[in-house]
Amino acid sequence: MKALQVENLYKKYPTFTLDGVNFSVEEGRIVGLVGRNGAGKSTALKAVMRLISAKGKIEVFGRDFAKCEAAVKSEIGFVSGGFDFYPYQKIGKIVRTVTSFYPTWDERVCRENLVRFNIDENKKPSELSAGMKVKLSVALALSHGAKLFVMDEPTSGLDPLSREEFNDVVLSLSRETGASVLFSTHITADLMRVADDVVYISDGRILKDAPLKKLLGEYEKVTFSSETAAKNCGAEVVGLKTVRDGVEGLVACGAEISGALRRENADLDAVMIHLETQKARGTSC
Amino acid sequence: MLKLIKKEFALTLHPTNVVFLFFAAFVFIPNYPYEVMFFFSSLAAYFACLAGRENKDLFFTCSLPVEKKAVAVARVIFFVILQIAQVLLCALLSVVKTAIIDLPNAAGTEANAVLCANGLVMLGIFNAIFFPAYFANPEKIGKPFVFGAAAEFAVVALAITACFAVPFARDVLDTPDPAHFGAKLVYLAVAACLYAALTAFAALRSAGNFEKTDL
Repeated sequence: MKALQVENLYKKYPTFTLDGVNFSVEEGRIVGLVGRNGAGKSTALKAVMRLISAKGKIEVFGRDFAKCEAAVKSEIGFVSGGFDFYPYQKIGKIVRTVTSFYPTWDERVCRENLVRFNIDENKKPSELSAGMKVKLSVALALSHGAKLFVMDEPTSGLDPLSREEFNDVVLSLSRETGASVLFSTHITADLMRVADDVVYISDGRILKDAPLKKLLGEYEKVTFSSETAAKNCGAEVVGLKTVRDGVEGLVACGAEISGALRRENADLDAVMIHLETQKARGTSC
Repeated sequence: MLKLIKKEFALTLHPTNVVFLFFAAFVFIPNYPYEVMFFFSSLAAYFACLAGRENKDLFFTCSLPVEKKAVAVARVIFFVILQIAQVLLCALLSVVKTAIIDLPNAAGTEANAVLCANGLVMLGIFNAIFFPAYFANPEKIGKPFVFGAAAEFAVVALAITACFAVPFARDVLDTPDPAHFGAKLVYLAVAACLYAALTAFAALRSAGNFEKTDL
């Protein structure tokens, strides 16, 4: 069953358009929504959460989000980056207020998470660092038994240890509780560690939507001595860019090529960079 | 809805929402346009919405398991509760003032049932102007407030003018209670209906506008 199904999401701004975005999150899977800054990741997630008015159809566990908004939201753990709300209210008061909205709120789990993330309820959000604000958001999202987690750049601002801790949390959500996770990020290392599937968005359009392993298996990173050598290699080279010892691009995995200085497995960074370079140039060679 | 209203009291309530309620005590000021107290209630609503913008209150509330339109309706109801509380306080203090200070108000409406009625009309008009515009664009609060407040002051000006220029207003409505109380109660009932209609319009229109708003 699909935890989340997004069809033809469309939102037009004066300078940006989210254009016919389609993707889905299978139950129990961790999906990374990846793209460069301004690609439309946050807009897509806000549209999914109905925080902005966008055209398109969103279903959560088969239920139409627009028709069952409150019920659907209670099944979602939403993290919109750091907790930037009510900076001068005590965290305890905010937590108590949030509690009343969720029939499935688990006070014990909430306390455990606050302790685990070292969050003092007597503090105010304004007294927390950027990383601690993210942890507060995550702690709240984890406390009501959500079956689907939608997280917008949850690891931005976290130190490496906290990122690792967060990634462990995400993995345990999926593996131990069977929850589904959709999270946006531009930190590809996080995706490499936890994601099952990757949705790659660029300029408001989905460029790639595939299981991570399949996506990485599609390409090899190849280095040539010059652009001419790349053009004459006998295969299509995607997103050629200059590197220290020549030029580098992506080729289809296993493609027969000649004149390559080096060929290696592509990682997500390389796929992103070369696909973007390809898009900017508009051609491949 | 009840949870949302409780949340409004817990996290949206601005200190001026409470402090300005007690401006109902203006009725003890000799020769003063008492209707001005209701303007302060609207000013407090503006401050609360302004603070809400800085707290990203609407974004936070909409991320809770509630319908987006319910967020707008709950906020209107929250302010209606505060407005009704001020009108009731005004009524109570008007009774006290009439009982202990036997001086006519030379600056406008007496502290009587008509003052409460004028307050309801002012607040109803403010609600109908301010909230739909605010929920159409919660980032821009100033303009809706200016238009809403201008309309309120127009009502104040009309009420004061009527006290001097309109014989019925001067001889029947602008008298200390309980004189002509039947006529005043009818006037109050009409004002209450107008307030209810304008506020219902405000809530429905706000909900519709907020559905289309991007947070």
